Amino acid sequence: MNVPFIGEVPSDIVVSWIFVSLIGVLLLWWLTKKEQWPTIWEYARTTDNRKIGTMYILFAFLFFIRGGMDAMFIRSQLAVPESEFWVFQSQKYNEVFTTHGTVMIFFVAMPLLIGLMNIAVPLQLGANDLAFPYLNAISFWLFVSGAVIFNMAFFFNAAPNAGWTAYAPLSSDTFTTGPNNNYYIFGLQISGMGTILTAINMIVTIIRLRAPGMKLTRMPLFPWATLVTSFLIIIAFPVLTVALLLLTFDRLYGTSFFLGELGSPIYYQHLFWIFGHPEVYILILPAFGIFSDIISTFSRKRIYGYRSMVIAIALIGLLGFMVWAHHMFTVGLGALANSVFAITTMLIAVPTGIKVFNWLFTMRKGVVRIKTPMLFSLGFIPTFVLGGVTGVMLAVAAADYQYHDSYFVVAHFHYTMIGGTILGAFAGIYYYYPKMTGKVLDETLGRWHFWLFIIGFHLTFMPQHFAGLNGMPRRVYTYSWDDGLFLLNFVSTIGAFVMGASMLFVVWNLYKTHRYGEKVGKDPWDGRTLEWSVDSPAPEHPFDPVPQVNSRDAFWYAKISEESLPAAENPRPSPIPVQTIQPVVLAGILGVMSIGFIYQWVWMQVIGGVGVLSFFILRSLTDERKKAYRKEEES
Amino acid sequence: MKQTSEILFQDKRLGFFLYLVVEALMFATLFATYILFTPASVGADPSEVYELRTVVLTSVFLLSSSGTLMIAEKGLKTWDRKKIWIGLGTTFLLGSIFMGLEIHEFYKYVHEGYTITMNNFLSSFYVLVGLHASHVAFGLGWMILLMGQFKQKLPRSLFIEKHKIFNYYWHFVDVIWVLIILIVYVPYLF
Ligand code: HEM
Ligand SMILES: [Cu+2]
Repeated sequence: MNVPFIGEVPSDIVVSWIFVSLIGVLLLWWLTKKEQWPTIWEYARTTDNRKIGTMYILFAFLFFIRGGMDAMFIRSQLAVPESEFWVFQSQKYNEVFTTHGTVMIFFVAMPLLIGLMNIAVPLQLGANDLAFPYLNAISFWLFVSGAVIFNMAFFFNAAPNAGWTAYAPLSSDTFTTGPNNNYYIFGLQISGMGTILTAINMIVTIIRLRAPGMKLTRMPLFPWATLVTSFLIIIAFPVLTVALLLLTFDRLYGTSFFLGELGSPIYYQHLFWIFGHPEVYILILPAFGIFSDIISTFSRKRIYGYRSMVIAIALIGLLGFMVWAHHMFTVGLGALANSVFAITTMLIAVPTGIKVFNWLFTMRKGVVRIKTPMLFSLGFIPTFVLGGVTGVMLAVAAADYQYHDSYFVVAHFHYTMIGGTILGAFAGIYYYYPKMTGKVLDETLGRWHFWLFIIGFHLTFMPQHFAGLNGMPRRVYTYSWDDGLFLLNFVSTIGAFVMGASMLFVVWNLYKTHRYGEKVGKDPWDGRTLEWSVDSPAPEHPFDPVPQVNSRDAFWYAKISEESLPAAENPRPSPIPVQTIQPVVLAGILGVMSIGFIYQWVWMQVIGGVGVLSFFILRSLTDERKKAYRKEEES
Repeated sequence: MKQTSEILFQDKRLGFFLYLVVEALMFATLFATYILFTPASVGADPSEVYELRTVVLTSVFLLSSSGTLMIAEKGLKTWDRKKIWIGLGTTFLLGSIFMGLEIHEFYKYVHEGYTITMNNFLSSFYVLVGLHASHVAFGLGWMILLMGQFKQKLPRSLFIEKHKIFNYYWHFVDVIWVLIILIVYVPYLF
């Protein structure tokens, strides 16, 4: 179809325009009918950790639908050899796998985990909010802004197309012209800023806002994982920021850091993976933390080997920075470099294995109740172990020459990221749903979701190992009948649709729970940690009085001795909440500025830049501390 | 018992220090980029481009501004408004002179044909030193705001908090400048 200003537009985009407009109109109508606008206005101005966490998860869910649809298109195109499904060949196929990967990692997995951190971590510590509530709202809206920028690209027929890694020189303007990969750059820069600020917020919260007596060594494992993850974020993300900054100069201002005779494509790869490998641990460690708490709760036992669990998290975090070149074994760094990175990579399997055994030992002789969150945890263990095993196989540098850039790698990282991160996020959502909304999700539908998802998952990705070993490269849009890959791919496609179907049960479950579900009390799972001592849903300023903590799992032992937790004397002052629309405004300004850069409209860049600077001034002049400090001064 | 403002300030200070770690890592990556690409095999060599006089001048002004800021810091301790004014004012002045010299330096290089696209030495030079310069410019704006807030009579503890956070920032920017002297200029000046 030919559209004025935009030119020739493929039919998938036209369909999505129509589709999105219809949904948009319906949504507006529904919101107005149900008189939901005041609620939206309230959430847009909130700085409360539970509300922000819930919004993170809600938006992640929306982007999950987008990324999932990309996946369905990929699998449909690959279902049979030499197929031509709709428009998804060659360049279009490049776009669809790029947006799938980027959306899933940055706009689904990250916000799901950060959302759960927001909801659970302060409560688990006995803190009344994150250390910087206002900054938390900024982080969230920066994430939304970045995600909207990235997802917009498709609707303007300019979806990024150089892979989620955006390797140069392919991602430079010599080889991928047009605004496409500018969308990638600015989408990630804006949301990345939000992620960095969240990490800072989490670290300060964990270091300074714990309830009296909650020593670091008494913290549950989710806050521990959050702490280590946050350090990984503040070390890894700045490197990505700089890599993308240099790429911006290459694309917009004619430099040649990563291309041409002068530049170095390998340098881009180094920068990307110095960020990228820690990033995959940023995605897995919080999931480990969630699983640890869930397995302990549903086994009615203390976590086995608490100390070794903490050490393992820290070791994984540390080693995570020494392995990045395992993504570059075939680049030609030399035998010595490859050997060193192979060994460090294999070493990571050791602390990971320790954690797996500790989970098993936690369940051993425990009173195991298999509720939905626990079911997801049980599904996670064998699935993730498979991903770890293929990881160690990939770490064998010599063998990686065969595996690299094949479907074997695709299978590996889906076993780790879906089997670890996504199952962890699901487990966490079922587990913390009462703290978010005051209701427990339906068990039966939860089980349907779990079984369909896990069966679909293995159907999808198990065959990909063999496709890869048989030589099927990743990121290709077709293969021939002679390749002997038909059956493997066909099964994989069926699996993908089963996984897709399982998500319908989530939607049904949400509907059913909200329509018919009953409110539950503070402690629906018979939990062990402080979050279960406050109301469901968690109120703003939940701990009043702040509890005094005298042991690990203090809430559990208080329940056993049928007492309530003692109130702390002299707890520290809580962070100051506010109601403000400013974060949304900043997100908007940054969005405008990014569009200015993406299309190189200098006037718009200037407007955006001036807007951002004025925003800083406004923020400083409306500081919520003014009131609090004045009160203190007067007393 | 500690005051609310004191505890909230300590939260903010830790958060800001972590933010400076983030900044330091970004600069570290840019330093690595500069080292990797300098000198370049074609185009200008750093020794033709740099001039000792400019480096010395800019450094004198910027580094001494960290010293004058200490006057304001002293003033904060004893709440001596005059000292705060003098400290902030001279720091602003010195910073502005630095900014002027820096703009002049870039302007001159470009006029001599040493543009950002000439080779990767110059590309990484402009990105690194340019990012630092934009930090100084941001700091100058921040100082104007701070002086405005000083006149405005904020709660004293809040003004002290804001001033201190700015001080960390300014000293950090200065430390980066020292590294720029040592890594960017010195190896090619002598
Ligand atoms: C026992 C632990 C692990 C080991 C030894 C390991 C090893 C490896 C190796 C060697 C590669 C490079 C393969 C190639 O490109 O030829 C790789 C790729 C990958 N791994 Fe892992 N891995 C482990 C765990 C994880 C985890 C926990 C995640 C994420 C949650 C993960 C996500 C990825 C991703 C996304 C890629 C592919 C990146 C790309 O090229 O697009 N891995 N892994
Ligand atoms: Cu890796």
